[in-house]
Amino acid sequence: MASVSLLFVTLLSVTLYINIKSFILWDQSQTFLPSLSDSVLMDRRFPFKVLEHIFSFVDSNEDRNSVSLVCKSWFETERRTRKRVFVGNCYAVSPLKVARRFPKMRSLTLKGKPHFADYNLVPDGWGGYAWPWIEAMAARRPLLEEIRLKRMVVTDECLEKIAASFRDFKSLVLTSCEGFSTDGIAAIASTCRKLRNLELRECIVDDLGGDWLSYFPETSTSLVSLDFSCLDSEVKLSDLERLLSRSPNLKSLKLNRSVTLDVLESLLRRAPQLVELGTGSFSDELDPEEISKLTKALSELKQLKSLSGLWDLLPEYIPVLYSVCPRLTSLNLSYATVQMPDLIDLLSRCSKLQKLWVMDLIEDKGLKTVALCCKELRELRVFPSGADLDETDVTLTEQGLVSVSEGCQKLESVLYFCVQFTNAALVSIAKNRPNFRCFRLCVMEPFAPDYRTQQPLDEGFKAIVERCKDLRRLSVSGLLTDKAFEYIGVHAKKLRMLSIAFAGDSDLMLHHLLSGCESLKKLEIRDCPFGDTALLENAAKLETMRSLWMSSCFVSFGACKQLSQKMPRLNVEVIDEHPPKTRPDSSPVERIYIYRTVAGPRLDTPEFVWTIHKKPEVGVSRLAIR
Amino acid sequence: MEICNSYSSSSVDSTNPSPSEYSVNLSLSLTFPSTSPQRARKQDWPPIKPRLRDTLKGRRRLLQRDYDTCLFVKVYMEGVPIGRKLDLSTFSGYESLLENLSHMFNTSIICGNHRDRKHHVLTYQDTDGDWMMVGDIPWEMFLETVRRLKITKPERC
Repeated sequence: MASVSLLFVTLLSVTLYINIKSFILWDQSQTFLPSLSDSVLMDRRFPFKVLEHIFSFVDSNEDRNSVSLVCKSWFETERRTRKRVFVGNCYAVSPLKVARRFPKMRSLTLKGKPHFADYNLVPDGWGGYAWPWIEAMAARRPLLEEIRLKRMVVTDECLEKIAASFRDFKSLVLTSCEGFSTDGIAAIASTCRKLRNLELRECIVDDLGGDWLSYFPETSTSLVSLDFSCLDSEVKLSDLERLLSRSPNLKSLKLNRSVTLDVLESLLRRAPQLVELGTGSFSDELDPEEISKLTKALSELKQLKSLSGLWDLLPEYIPVLYSVCPRLTSLNLSYATVQMPDLIDLLSRCSKLQKLWVMDLIEDKGLKTVALCCKELRELRVFPSGADLDETDVTLTEQGLVSVSEGCQKLESVLYFCVQFTNAALVSIAKNRPNFRCFRLCVMEPFAPDYRTQQPLDEGFKAIVERCKDLRRLSVSGLLTDKAFEYIGVHAKKLRMLSIAFAGDSDLMLHHLLSGCESLKKLEIRDCPFGDTALLENAAKLETMRSLWMSSCFVSFGACKQLSQKMPRLNVEVIDEHPPKTRPDSSPVERIYIYRTVAGPRLDTPEFVWTIHKKPEVGVSRLAIR
Repeated sequence: MEICNSYSSSSVDSTNPSPSEYSVNLSLSLTFPSTSPQRARKQDWPPIKPRLRDTLKGRRRLLQRDYDTCLFVKVYMEGVPIGRKLDLSTFSGYESLLENLSHMFNTSIICGNHRDRKHHVLTYQDTDGDWMMVGDIPWEMFLETVRRLKITKPERC
């Protein structure tokens, strides 16, 4: 970044003689295209090429957004040179505007549903349709090469459109998406001749069978990554083998669970260059000869850095993995029901590990081993092994996380599920690891206080936000009063995303957050007792954020109307699956999703979503157009 | 701080709506919302993704099945030092168990209910370590608590 800022300074001093015009907000791009003043036009002959060259070094979209705010010519140059476009909320802007603004677009990333949709808090049919975007890009940006979608509804029609419209299409990455079937995947596989990445990460797919795999072109493919781990049905082994044999560039392969252990060896023999491997089921019975062949095949993967899958990994197969452990930087054991002693066996050999996802079966003892052996660890996620609260019979306590925070100097991202916690542990963790960027603690017992002192966890989280100055993402849990949020508001200045459940006492909680956290972009709250006042007092803040989600809080319908009227560029959407017959202003609202937008109210709301109209007398409107 | 005064210390007052699903009070003994009937539809706590949740549910069922499919316990006959091992999951209930044991030890064994001088009585040691009469509890519950079996002489009971 230092080199870029130097370039900026140089550029500024060179162009000081240019009359820098007024600052313009980015959404007014449509109006000034033809009306550039003469002086700027004349001077653009010189600076344009220079600017273009300089901007080619600016990768981050945040920097590019800042660049585009400087003046008209910078805006113009930037927009003509941006290749990778990121839209964090697909309803914040219209697809047409985005297509027009960035003529050189080669990659489009979109996010749809609110994050809490991952946890069943957003009803099906809420929205997030990819079609309008695909349609717009197909018509205007046929050179698009990459589409990355998260939490969006993608239909087979969308996939067929992609296949038919973008002749150089290279990369499709769908994360937590739904609405399509394996037929759509087949269309992509068969038509996109230059396809490099086809990744279906945790999608819900209408699985009509494994035939789609046979649709890849018969000649050698350009595949670099293939992830079909979320599919259920079996693919034909011969199809898979042949595909691997003719995909020399394949670096990442993630199989689904129905690929059995006995065929893994044959697949790996055909892809020894793999850097990332997601196995299928790891529990089928193998005879000694098969085991030895598999062990050998794994040891041949000299470039393997990442391992996942490992469904139902049996302890007796752990030695099979020994050869890859020393090179591994990423290991995902979320689906491996391995107990602590076997986990220790495995993890003690993974000295280069940077990312570890594991179940709480690892227990405190296992995490102690991680603290001792995995000194390069940067990211740790510990998931619960029991889906219900009363199923936890595992000895994972706060001590596990304390050990890791002590031993792993580079640890910066944590997601930790635990039944209960203490302030002392949080204070230790904060002292040990001030370099946290992402700290998500889920104390699974709602309202659980510090189990030693019975105090709220306010002081513990205070330590976290005080010491971890670079904290970007935080999830809090356990018993928390308004004080905790006062601390967060005061200290967490770089915090961008905050998730809260079952916490706080009153409006003060929300007020502290909205008035204190300067960098806050996404706030999601469920089951907290704040109400109207805080929301309305801090309404202006909401336009600086991407979105605010609230469910089961004390916000009234009247407050939502006031907010919507006050803030022209916010969509205030009410989600109500059991709408009341009448809506007096005092009636509570079950779920609200508020987001900033320049596209106005969306036109695709289902029956249970209402956009609050800007005119108070109208109230709610449902401008649904099917 | 002046600004604190403009906020109510309790958000449950007469002008605010009272949510129908759960009650909140400042002594912090809050009702866990997802126990309310409207929430019974889909589980939303703890916050884990659907695929992981389904895998865990499936795994629980599998573990229970594994438990059932492999339930070897030691069986001793009183007075006989060498015991036998028996897979209880192969039996459908007490009757088939008794029949099999009688055959195995070549004597007649009964449950505790109909005691008399002639028959041996089957007892078991449960998870607490206590010795109990077989036959009092339902078969499935028995399978969960049994640790070992002993065939005792009739006078002992």
